[in-house]
Amino acid sequence: MDFELSQDHKVLQSSVRDFVEKEVKPLAIQIDEQHAIPDELVRKMSAMGFLGSYLPEAYGGAGLDILSYAIVVEEVSKACASSGILISAHTSLACDPILQFGTEEQKRKYLPPLACGEKIGCILLTESDAGSDPANLSTTYVKDGSDFVINGNKIFVTNGGYRGTGILFATFDKSLKHKGISAFIVDLQSEGVEILRHESKLGIRGTYTTAFALNNLRLPASCLLGSEGQGFKIAMETLNGGRIGVSAQALGIAEGAFERARNYSKERVQFGRPIREQQAIQFKLADMYMRIETSRLAVYQAAWLKGNKKPYILESALCKLHASETATFVTKEALQIHGGYGYVTEYEVERMYRDAKITEIYEGTSEVQRLIIAKALLS
Amino acid sequence: MKILVCIKQVPDMESRFRVNSAGTWYEEQDLAFRLNEYDEYAIEQAVRVKEGLGGAADITVLSIGPDRAVEAIKKGLAMGGDRGVHIKADQPHQMDAWQIASLIAAFARDKNFDLIFTGLQSQDRGSGQVGGMVAELLGFACVTTVVGFELNGAVAAIRREMEGGLRGVVRLALPLVVTCQLGLNTPRYPTLPNIMKAKQKELLTFQAADFPVGDSLVQTEKMYPPEKKGRGLVLEGDVNELADKLAAILKEKAPALR
Repeated sequence: MDFELSQDHKVLQSSVRDFVEKEVKPLAIQIDEQHAIPDELVRKMSAMGFLGSYLPEAYGGAGLDILSYAIVVEEVSKACASSGILISAHTSLACDPILQFGTEEQKRKYLPPLACGEKIGCILLTESDAGSDPANLSTTYVKDGSDFVINGNKIFVTNGGYRGTGILFATFDKSLKHKGISAFIVDLQSEGVEILRHESKLGIRGTYTTAFALNNLRLPASCLLGSEGQGFKIAMETLNGGRIGVSAQALGIAEGAFERARNYSKERVQFGRPIREQQAIQFKLADMYMRIETSRLAVYQAAWLKGNKKPYILESALCKLHASETATFVTKEALQIHGGYGYVTEYEVERMYRDAKITEIYEGTSEVQRLIIAKALLS
Repeated sequence: MKILVCIKQVPDMESRFRVNSAGTWYEEQDLAFRLNEYDEYAIEQAVRVKEGLGGAADITVLSIGPDRAVEAIKKGLAMGGDRGVHIKADQPHQMDAWQIASLIAAFARDKNFDLIFTGLQSQDRGSGQVGGMVAELLGFACVTTVVGFELNGAVAAIRREMEGGLRGVVRLALPLVVTCQLGLNTPRYPTLPNIMKAKQKELLTFQAADFPVGDSLVQTEKMYPPEKKGRGLVLEGDVNELADKLAAILKEKAPALR
C-alpha cells in the first residue's frame, strides 16, 4: 500500500499548480464580481488539456486517469471554485456519460470537440419538481418516425450558458417513473432549445446556472444515448462519478481557504504576538487540517477506485459528503481567523465561504449522500 | 542538431530551511521540491531551437540527484524534451561543482552534442560554476547569463546580461554551452496531453558511480543562517521633513541616483 502520489501525478500536480498560480488566481476576484469566467481563461484551460484529462487520446483527450482529473479540479478550485466546477460539470456530467454509454460513432462525433474545449458540456437533468428524485421528471419525449420530439423545462444547468453539448433526460411516460426515462445528446444551439435565464447566486458566481425551455426539440435517433428506458441508470452512474469532481472542488476550496488562514495567522499580530500563538487559533487550524487531510484521502481513494473499475458508489458518496462539509467548515473558520478582514473581498475567504456552500447541495445534497451510504451499508 | 539540457531539482524557495545536523547543508525532510527556475528557461530555449529547426533536433534532459529528481526530468520531457537521463546520486550536495560538471562531461563526451543549455545557477547551491566547467571539460565555448538566443545555421547570436545593467551581444559557432538567465524566455506550461506523452519517453538511468570523477576540490565547512541585523530605520517628522531625510539617504546609499 502506498499513500504517496506517483511521480507522474506529482509532475501533473506541480504543472497544474504553476498554471493556476499565474493564470487563474489573479482573476478569481474579478470572476466572482463580474459573474463570468473570461473566455480567454477558458481557452487557456482548454489548451492545457483540462477539459479532456481522462478522455482517451483516440477521442482527443489526454488519456490520463481519474485521479489526475481530480487533482486538476482540486488545484484549480484552490484559486477559483467557479473554474473548478466548469471543468467538473463538463467532464463528469457530459463527457463521462458519452464515454460510458455512447456508441463508437457518438464518441467520435461528440468527444473531440468537448476534449479541446470547442464545446463545453453540461447535463440537463434537474427540473423544478425533480432534483434529488429524478424519477419524477416531467420533460417528455414522443417518437415521430425515427425522431424524438422533446418538450419541457430544465433548471440549474451548470455550464448551460455556453450552449455546447448537453446530456438531456426526458420521460416517455411519467407514470412509468424511472423506467420511462431516456437520455439524449443535444447540441444546445439546436432549434427548440431556449435559454430562459441565468440564475444569480450566493457563490460560484463565475459559472452559468441556466434554465432552459425545450419547445418541440426534434432529435434524430442518433442522439439517443444508450437505449430507450436506460436514462435513469445513466443518470445515476453519471452522478456517482460527478461526486468525485465536486468533492475535488470542495477539497480545493478548503485547501485554498486553509492556506490563507494559516498565512494570515502568522502575519496578524494582536496583544503583541501573532495570533497563531493563541491556542484558540491553533485548535481551529488543527481541526481544519484534519478534515482536509481525511477529505483528500477519501477523494483520492474514490478516484482511484473509479479509475481501476472497482465499485465506488459508497466511496464517492462518502468523499462528496465529507469534502463538502469540510469545505463549509474550513471556509467558515478561515473567515473567522481573518476577523474583520475575512469579511472583505480582497482577502478572498469571504468568496470561498460563499462558494463552499453549493458543494453540500449540487450533485446530491448531503442528506442524499447519507441515504446512499446507509443504503450501501444496509443492503 | 543534438541538444543537452542539464537541470536540477531544488527545494521550493517558499520553504522554511533548517541547517542539517552535520551543519553542511539544509534538512531535506518535509521540503517540497521543484524544477530549478533557471533550468526552465534552459528547457524552453532548447525546445524553441528545436521548433525553429522544424523539429530537426533531439533534446536530452539530464539531471543528477536522488529518485525524486525524475520528477524534474519528466517535467522537462513534458515541456518538449525527447529523452531523459537520470544520473542517480542520493546525496548530490556532497559533490562540488567540479564533480557535478565532471559527471555531466563524462556522460556527454562521446555523444556529439551541438548545444548544451543549463540554468545560470541552481536556486539552492547557487555556485553558478557548473555550466562553465562543463564547457571547459568538453572543450566547448561557453556564454553565461544569457537573455537572448538566436541560431542561424551553426552560428549563435547571443545577448547576455552584464554588470551594471549593460547588455552584450556575442556571435559564435557551435558547439556551445549556454547558461540561461531570467528574461530569456517565458517557459511554457506542460499540458496534460504532453504530460501523458512524457510517460512514454525514454528514460535512461545511470549511477553516479558509473562515471569515475575525481575528488571534490571544495569542501563545505559550515552552513549557517546569517546573523540577524538591527531593525530598519524609522523616519519621523512632518511630510516635507520626511521627504528631505529620505532623499538624503537615497542620494547617499542608492547608486542609481548618483
